[in-house]
Amino acid sequence: MLLQGDGSVGEFYSVALTKARQQADTGTKMTHIGKNTTSRIISKGISAGHGQNTYRGLVKVLPGAEGARNFTQCDSLLIGERAGAHTVPYIEVANPSASVEHEASTTKVSEEQLFFCQQRGLSREDAQSLIINGFVREVVRRLPLEFAVEADRLLAMNLEGTVG
Amino acid sequence: MAMLEVRGLRAEVNGVEILKGIDLEVNTGETHAIMGPNGSGKSTLANVLAGHPNYAVTGGSVTFEGRDLLAMAAEERARAGLFLSFQHPVEIPGVRMEHFLRAAYNEARKAAGEPELDVLKFDRLLRTKVKGVNMDPAFTKRSVNEGFSGGEKKRNEVLQMAVLTPRLRILDEIDSGLDVDALRDVAGGVNELGGPGTATLVVTHYERILNYLNPGFIHVLMGGRIVRSGGRELAQLIEQHGYEGIAPSGADAAS
Repeated sequence: MLLQGDGSVGEFYSVALTKARQQADTGTKMTHIGKNTTSRIISKGISAGHGQNTYRGLVKVLPGAEGARNFTQCDSLLIGERAGAHTVPYIEVANPSASVEHEASTTKVSEEQLFFCQQRGLSREDAQSLIINGFVREVVRRLPLEFAVEADRLLAMNLEGTVG
Repeated sequence: MAMLEVRGLRAEVNGVEILKGIDLEVNTGETHAIMGPNGSGKSTLANVLAGHPNYAVTGGSVTFEGRDLLAMAAEERARAGLFLSFQHPVEIPGVRMEHFLRAAYNEARKAAGEPELDVLKFDRLLRTKVKGVNMDPAFTKRSVNEGFSGGEKKRNEVLQMAVLTPRLRILDEIDSGLDVDALRDVAGGVNELGGPGTATLVVTHYERILNYLNPGFIHVLMGGRIVRSGGRELAQLIEQHGYEGIAPSGADAAS
């Protein structure tokens, strides 16, 4: 994404899912060219089975991008013992007035979360999809309702049989 | 027939035996307290009754309203009316309380052969429940336990109890991390929700909560066995003499 005009705004939201032996290497490029340009990247990665998710993103601030701001948040969710998550942020800043933030987290669907849901009456499968839907909500809630419902269903379908 | 009948229950975690033969009967309308020092197996008993997969039952039997509890999955026990209030309620980021509660509520309805409630009907029910336990309605829009204080998490357990209306309530250290005011509110909620058709099993190592819940039966758990049972006076003896002081000679010391 090229943020050329002064004050232009770029947003990138993504959900990536890997299972079995899949590997995904996903991300985006944000290039700040104009003055006071802002960008926001929220990336959610879910890894199940032997799945490996890599977020790889470039945030570039050119010399003329006075006052550029970027916020990047990269969250990973692991299901099971063999899944992995990797975060590789590239940050190139050529203007000292820029502010570039990167936050990353990795969490696991825990036995305690699953049991808590079961103790309230949910099956393990339903508990896991609930936890995953919660994990991606920040991204999915920005979609139009029909797509959001579709996205939740797609995730549930793809993760069938992965519950520990 | 007692609501809950535990006979010779043995259980282990990671190959280590924690419960070494528990016998316990809880009838409808009764409140029982399980007391004991740290590591005596109190929380294990609560978790085993609720069906936590990390604990392996190695002997004995448990029936709940005549059904073989140990043959049921954790979620089946919950749907049948068994509720565990957690010592440390977990956070589920991004999952709103109202959504979580509706899913849980509807599972119990389905299991009872009743139609599920849609969003609007459940919302109406939830409002009255929230009001009943004196909680801020904004709670239901927040993610399950995420960023809640210790007191809020325990109040939230009471709200879940209010929505799910269980018959057997197992309270695992519901007093831990609560100040006096929160303790009074939480215990008050538990009492209010306990109708004649319910029974309560309180797991604690302090007597303070018992002043609110007023159990008729006290059991002392040490080294994986109930070493002494009695009425309220037993709790006062523990307060005065400590667990070691009241354990009958020959009983296993707590590990």
